Amino acid sequence: MNEYAILSIHGSIILIGVILMTPFGDAIGGFLVNKWPSTATNRGRMLAGLMLVCTGGFTVSAHTLWMHNKLSEGGSVCSGSEILNCDGLIGNPDYNTVPFLNQPWGLLGMVAFCVLLWLAVTIAKEPLALSTPTFLKAGLGATIAGLPVIALLVSYEIKEGLICPFCTTAHIANVIAMVAFFLLLKMYESDEWAPELKKSRK
Amino acid sequence: MMDNLYRSEEASARGEAAIIVISLFFAGLLVVAFTSNPISTGTQPGERAPLFSGKAYDGNGWQTFVFDDLLTPEWSPNSTGDAPWIAIEFMDTDCGHCKTAAEKVGNWAQQYSSTVWDGPEVIFIAVAVEFVADSSRSEIQTFRDSNEHTFPYVDDLDREVVDKWQVGGTPAYFLVQPDGIVAWNSAQTVNSIGWDANAEEVFALSDYTGDQYIELNEAIEQLTKKYGGETQ
Repeated sequence: MNEYAILSIHGSIILIGVILMTPFGDAIGGFLVNKWPSTATNRGRMLAGLMLVCTGGFTVSAHTLWMHNKLSEGGSVCSGSEILNCDGLIGNPDYNTVPFLNQPWGLLGMVAFCVLLWLAVTIAKEPLALSTPTFLKAGLGATIAGLPVIALLVSYEIKEGLICPFCTTAHIANVIAMVAFFLLLKMYESDEWAPELKKSRK
Repeated sequence: MMDNLYRSEEASARGEAAIIVISLFFAGLLVVAFTSNPISTGTQPGERAPLFSGKAYDGNGWQTFVFDDLLTPEWSPNSTGDAPWIAIEFMDTDCGHCKTAAEKVGNWAQQYSSTVWDGPEVIFIAVAVEFVADSSRSEIQTFRDSNEHTFPYVDDLDREVVDKWQVGGTPAYFLVQPDGIVAWNSAQTVNSIGWDANAEEVFALSDYTGDQYIELNEAIEQLTKKYGGETQ
């Protein structure tokens, strides 16, 4: 299968997540509410969207790890264009591992998105738990900590004059997750987080 | 923590979420592990040789040299083409052993690239480093010309390549398969270990001269002719 067809699958997971988080998510939530009642609320849709974004980030990171391995075997996985070219970056031993840890960037991405997904799933399961604000802040902090890493990887792309579409998709997923954690934290601080409690207080 | 898990519903949510996420993580790892067979970059037999580029003296001047250009990534043990193997010597113009070895290395370079040799072509490269004393490009030129070598000498006076290739002393020799996998390394702990690309495992090379040390020519003769169809 063409690498961009596979990339579009990762992208679609992230895109559906983003749509769920936007006002358009209201309409989609209507279809999902029977299966997942939590999507009836803004909070539920935001969390569902965040989970999808983290899942998309995880799958695209796993794909870059697979590419890393395939390139080490001597193959070519994504070198169709002069600029959109993963081989020159994921296959470049000078750039393709995490400094000090010496592990592929894809593996770091898988771990990072799993941690974010764990935070999102835990919050979704117990939104009124005492630990929720801590988890929201942890998610926001972790995604902000990802920004310098993204900057480093983008600097490699600039240095080599190449763009790795798979890596870029993972970077975008991190930025979307950061925005989602920020909006959820804002929502938590407002009455919108648990409108049912607000009603019962009245 | 176990106590928390029993008493707290929040801990239960965290535990359930962790089970879901850890399952996803390992499922991802398993898919990657079963569909790929990664080869690490390094200089031991079976590893992918580190790539390098720089300026090389070829007798006419200092030209751009790119190691990747010599490789034939599509090569396999059953290939029938004329993909060349690569022999690399790390040397220092001030190293006594390198000076002594210069004549035989020159002879090997001619022998294994000529049509007289019934095995696949072997391209020779020297990487000139600075271990012993101050060296310079003019010293490299003089060394190459005085030994009448015909292969390029790559300038590694800043020791960038030698560090990547983890060479601790000169001379050090490597034989690299056409696809870029290290087949033999003279400086490895057991000098007689070669890489079998068919079996994908190391094996012991024969010591023709009985001196308990495998020379580059012995490695070339045993490794390059091991695979079908790779003859000139």
